[in-house]
Amino acid sequence: MAQQPGPQKPMEPFTGPGANTYWNSVGPYVTEPQKVPLILLTDRPVQLETPRNYFRTAFTPNEAFFVRWHLDGIPNSVDLKDWKLQIEGNVNKPLALSLPDLMQKFKPVSLAAVNQCSGNSRSRLQPRVPGGQWGNGAMGNAMWTGVRLRELLDMSGVKSGSLMAQFQGLETGAGPAGFGSNLFLKSIDLGNPVLDECIVAYLMNGEPLPMLNGFPVRLVVPGYFSTYWTKCLTWIRVLNAPDENYWVKTAYRVPDTPRGDTSPEDVKAGKVKMVPIGRLPVRSFLISPDGSAKIPAGMNVALRGIAFSGFGAVNRVDVSDDGGKNWMPAKLGENHGAYSFRTWEASWTAKSQGRYSLAVRATDEKGNTQPDEPVWNPGGYLWNRIERQEIVVGNAS
Amino acid sequence: MRNKARASFIVMCSLVMAVVVYAELKKGSYSPAQLGVLRQAAPIELSPDSNFQVSAYPAPGVDLAPGDGVQDVQIYCNTCHSPRYITMQPPLPAATWEAEVNKMIKTLGAPIPEENAKKIVLYLQAHYTPDTRKQ
Repeated sequence: MAQQPGPQKPMEPFTGPGANTYWNSVGPYVTEPQKVPLILLTDRPVQLETPRNYFRTAFTPNEAFFVRWHLDGIPNSVDLKDWKLQIEGNVNKPLALSLPDLMQKFKPVSLAAVNQCSGNSRSRLQPRVPGGQWGNGAMGNAMWTGVRLRELLDMSGVKSGSLMAQFQGLETGAGPAGFGSNLFLKSIDLGNPVLDECIVAYLMNGEPLPMLNGFPVRLVVPGYFSTYWTKCLTWIRVLNAPDENYWVKTAYRVPDTPRGDTSPEDVKAGKVKMVPIGRLPVRSFLISPDGSAKIPAGMNVALRGIAFSGFGAVNRVDVSDDGGKNWMPAKLGENHGAYSFRTWEASWTAKSQGRYSLAVRATDEKGNTQPDEPVWNPGGYLWNRIERQEIVVGNAS
Repeated sequence: MRNKARASFIVMCSLVMAVVVYAELKKGSYSPAQLGVLRQAAPIELSPDSNFQVSAYPAPGVDLAPGDGVQDVQIYCNTCHSPRYITMQPPLPAATWEAEVNKMIKTLGAPIPEENAKKIVLYLQAHYTPDTRKQ
């Protein structure tokens, strides 16, 4: 006779003041348009986290891809008869391009790139910081297809003396004009070489973008955090002065220290110089097994996961079954390019019953390796500590 | 003979039902009370014109802790964002809540009268710090 489990405690509605110990955040599931049920962080503006099981593949399905908007007014519809991508500001020839213009007048380019929220894993920080309390699921990888941003800038003729390219999408907020609660604006220095790699994407994994992920086009900034990946991109504005708006000058800034690490004391003492957030530090994740079930002793199982870095291709992933004392190399999956998720796999047999701490650590081609120390900064950004997962191995007889 | 078969059939049915009811009771309390709690997105009528639409984004209700100031939160905070921004947070120290409300007003331009802002801070401190948070 099978043993019936007793009543289980429901998942708590929040975590803290300690760190969130779950892989994902603890919010309920919600079904939004064009999406499978995802974990709800907030409903207005919409913020949705991707559950762990969707990271079993190198490419994250569009319908499961995480969502993060900053302002409440986001489009439910876009009329392509009226919509134009506008390139304006300090340019010789302002442009207004329709979707057919983008699809037909430029050579399409495709690139696999990870889109990760700056605050991914924010709920790990100690002490906790305010903000979206993401677990690990504010990330995704897609094959983005579109037009090179550089071609658009060249066609418009950027005037000499220009400093930044500013990006604006269709989201608006109820706050007063001139404040960050009214418009979401991001800018990138014109001297930043990443502009040569940026794509204005109209395809995501070979499909139109879901509205919540930025239909009809979004900016793809390979290797950089999502904050720069403007959704429903409609205005590209060349500036001849620094962008002083809230989202550039105040928000999304990290300490100018190794790993962006600091302490509440140093921040309070005014000792910390802040700079705009940039590239994705190297990370890796164990996706399965996820610790929700026991594994019989002596059974040879596959450990599987993903890894990525915004600084260069991941070329090594190691796994450990003793919490990080001893490491063994994992086998890397297909290479989809330097900015993509790289899957990895290792075979593992726990010889005897017990509790095992599996750990995974990635290294990129520039020699960056995941550290085993936590990170703290007031924005809750740049978490990339080695991940661990407890696995319980039971007697097989 | 026939009556006996009918009687045992009834007994079997009752047993099966009892087992089903028992299994239901033994289920984790996280199970929804009824199917359909997690609704699908509303279907939308699509026409082959140039307008690309999705259905309305869901706006589920948020259970804020009852207490003085909850109305101020609902009126002022709700202008720009759902109060789920509050319930999503971990318990935060009283000073952090005050700093957050000040940030909304000074940095992000929220037009909240001083008196109401004070009530909002007191409400958040009374219900959402490590010492005070219950739900």
